[in-house]
Amino acid sequence: MGRLLEQGKISSSQMSKMLFLVIVASTVISVPSLTGKYAQNDLWLSPILASLIGFLTVFIVFSLNRLYPQQTVIQYSPDIIGKVPGKIFGLLLLFFYLHITGLIVRNYAEFIMGNFLPQTPISIVIFTMIAVCVYGVKAGIETIGRTAQVFFFFFLFPLILMPFLLRDMHLDFVFPMFEHGLLPALKGAIIPQAYFSEMFLMSFLLPYVTDPEKGMRAGMLATLGVAVVLTGVNIFILLVFGRQSSDYLYPVMAAFRYISIADFIENLDSVVMTVWILGMYVKISVFYYATVLGTSQWLELSDYRPIVIPIGMLIAAISFWSMPNINAPVISFPFYSPLMQTICPLLLLGVAYLRKKGKRQSQAQTAAASGSVHSEKQEG
Amino acid sequence: MRTWGSVLILVVCALLLGGCWDRTEINDLAIITAAAVDKAEESEIVLSIQVFIPRAVGGPGLGGPTGSSERALTTILSAKGENIADAMSKVQSKLPRKIFWGHCKVYLFGEAVAKDGIAGHIDFLVRHPEPRNRAYLYVSKGKAGEHLGNNSLLERSTAEALRELASLHLGMAVTLIDFRNMLNGESRAVVLPYIEAGSKLEKPAQIQENTLLLGSAIFRKDKMIGVLSTKATRGLLWLRDEIIRASISVQIPAGQGRVSVMPIRGKTKLIPAIEDGKWSILVKIEAEGDIVENGTKLDMMEMSSNALVQKAVEDDVRSRIELALYHLQKELNADVTNFAAAFHRKYPQKWHEAKQNWDKIYPQIEVSTQIHITVRRPGLVTDSVGHPGSHDKRK
Repeated sequence: MGRLLEQGKISSSQMSKMLFLVIVASTVISVPSLTGKYAQNDLWLSPILASLIGFLTVFIVFSLNRLYPQQTVIQYSPDIIGKVPGKIFGLLLLFFYLHITGLIVRNYAEFIMGNFLPQTPISIVIFTMIAVCVYGVKAGIETIGRTAQVFFFFFLFPLILMPFLLRDMHLDFVFPMFEHGLLPALKGAIIPQAYFSEMFLMSFLLPYVTDPEKGMRAGMLATLGVAVVLTGVNIFILLVFGRQSSDYLYPVMAAFRYISIADFIENLDSVVMTVWILGMYVKISVFYYATVLGTSQWLELSDYRPIVIPIGMLIAAISFWSMPNINAPVISFPFYSPLMQTICPLLLLGVAYLRKKGKRQSQAQTAAASGSVHSEKQEG
Repeated sequence: MRTWGSVLILVVCALLLGGCWDRTEINDLAIITAAAVDKAEESEIVLSIQVFIPRAVGGPGLGGPTGSSERALTTILSAKGENIADAMSKVQSKLPRKIFWGHCKVYLFGEAVAKDGIAGHIDFLVRHPEPRNRAYLYVSKGKAGEHLGNNSLLERSTAEALRELASLHLGMAVTLIDFRNMLNGESRAVVLPYIEAGSKLEKPAQIQENTLLLGSAIFRKDKMIGVLSTKATRGLLWLRDEIIRASISVQIPAGQGRVSVMPIRGKTKLIPAIEDGKWSILVKIEAEGDIVENGTKLDMMEMSSNALVQKAVEDDVRSRIELALYHLQKELNADVTNFAAAFHRKYPQKWHEAKQNWDKIYPQIEVSTQIHITVRRPGLVTDSVGHPGSHDKRK
């Protein structure tokens, strides 16, 4: 029944590009300030530490998917922990995604307002983005996958511009390393790890991947790519801004604004913004898609398209309500996000393994045809 | 139906592309090219802005250079206020167009306002989304607003002239980012270029008499405490490992005259050491230069004369460094030479213990120098023009 919801198929490389953009898009713009606040000049280490959560999440999702191929977390959680608790967990997860999508949209809008369109009402910025995403989500996973594939290369373009700041970089800013031990770098990893746990979105994508056996590799590669990009960006920002890295709300924008080559290659921040909006589009679409797909699976609908627009409206509403202004920090986010996307799935995986083990034991005792029950379940 | 739908979407997109509420037409903007901040009575400041006059550039008709050169390209407006933001809103009331900071490349601070502290003003410049971090900061002797009025002979405005000056590397060139890096640095001492000009320059004849002197203004935290002369500033530039594009002229006693060397590239390393509680630093300079003027009777192709010149240049650089350090260590006690950072990198533990007493340690640091200048090329001729025949080896 679940399979009918989405007929589209994506390749594992499209999935890894989607996941890459999902995490990089929102972190790249502010990760040096988020990590630098705690890690100071060791901030380059924080994304590497944080990526461990990403690798763990990929492993969990992939293992769950091996047990229940063709199913998303919403579908297999009632199988693992029982119908009612499974449905409750699914509902919580859906609320989580709804909330997070709203927050992401709000962050996007705040950035656009703060840097480029201060006079424009925030609702216009939010509605235009959601309108485009509605189009993408209605068109299905194939379309989102292909946009991710195209935008991925655009998104890497600003990296080529980084050497323009070579003459403003000071290698001295990196030293002394680990002056206060590893603790500051660990503290700096607290916020980025919450973003890395967003790798859990793989659970909604894997059932539609044509080559799921490569899913593990694709997820790990995406995580590795994110870690490399974030570390690179952190080093780049540190070398340019030194101790003020954490003072800027959007250090990457500030750095690209600082570029001035031969007095006419200037103000490249608009290039960065354009590319970043492409990345944010993919990110919001994937979250939005996961919410919509999950909701229709939870309600056991036959088609997800009718609920795309209502959920889009909910996301817009949540983005208005979620925070009063940009300095209201979502303190809970670093715990909330890995709790829902890493820790709960880990428990699910544990329970699933135990049940499977129990089943195998009973299978050995009775030597009955429990194997056929198992395969039935897999077909779901 | 479908076509009409797509047309409708395209029309809506085209409308939104204008930038919605933030659409700004260039003829609604008053582009600031430079801004100056001066002290007024009590806690107030005077903000003077140099506004670009777009009409003056094109000029009516295709008449050519006549007339357009007479017209001023910029005008200056000023207003009093509690801070930059306040003064800016007052200046705005004198202008029919919206003030736009995006092209402001130069900020000048009057000496008086620099002595009161400029961190508050810098905060405006980095917080507001329009001003660019690439802008250069200057401190001026006397009123900064008057400097804006100086007509520049070659450039469109003072702002452009000062920005070009920064790229010539004759003195310090400090952007907003550099300023904040220094203020956040270990020693919390800042150095900005200090400009000093004679009277208000209007006619070209006067400009030739009144050169712009480039010294440097030394700050502790954000408050100015003193000035370094042009000569000492060059020493400071060597210490800070910044590019210098000013020739060094040295007296060569053996050659009865002067030789000028233009430094091409150089690298300065600060090597800190702590021995028995005694803090010292070794300044190691490796530099290359070309001879640009030879007023002696020496043949510059000779190895021996080359060595003489190198030795003389090394001594000159050393004396400049010592002069700068004398002012910084003994008089001003402001570590704008990055010594604190060098110690912090090498001795993080000891630095943390000594951090509080840095004011007492800095003047006591023993500085030794190890300077090596290589003269690479003698220029395009061998003989000194005044002493022909010295290259001739036949006699």
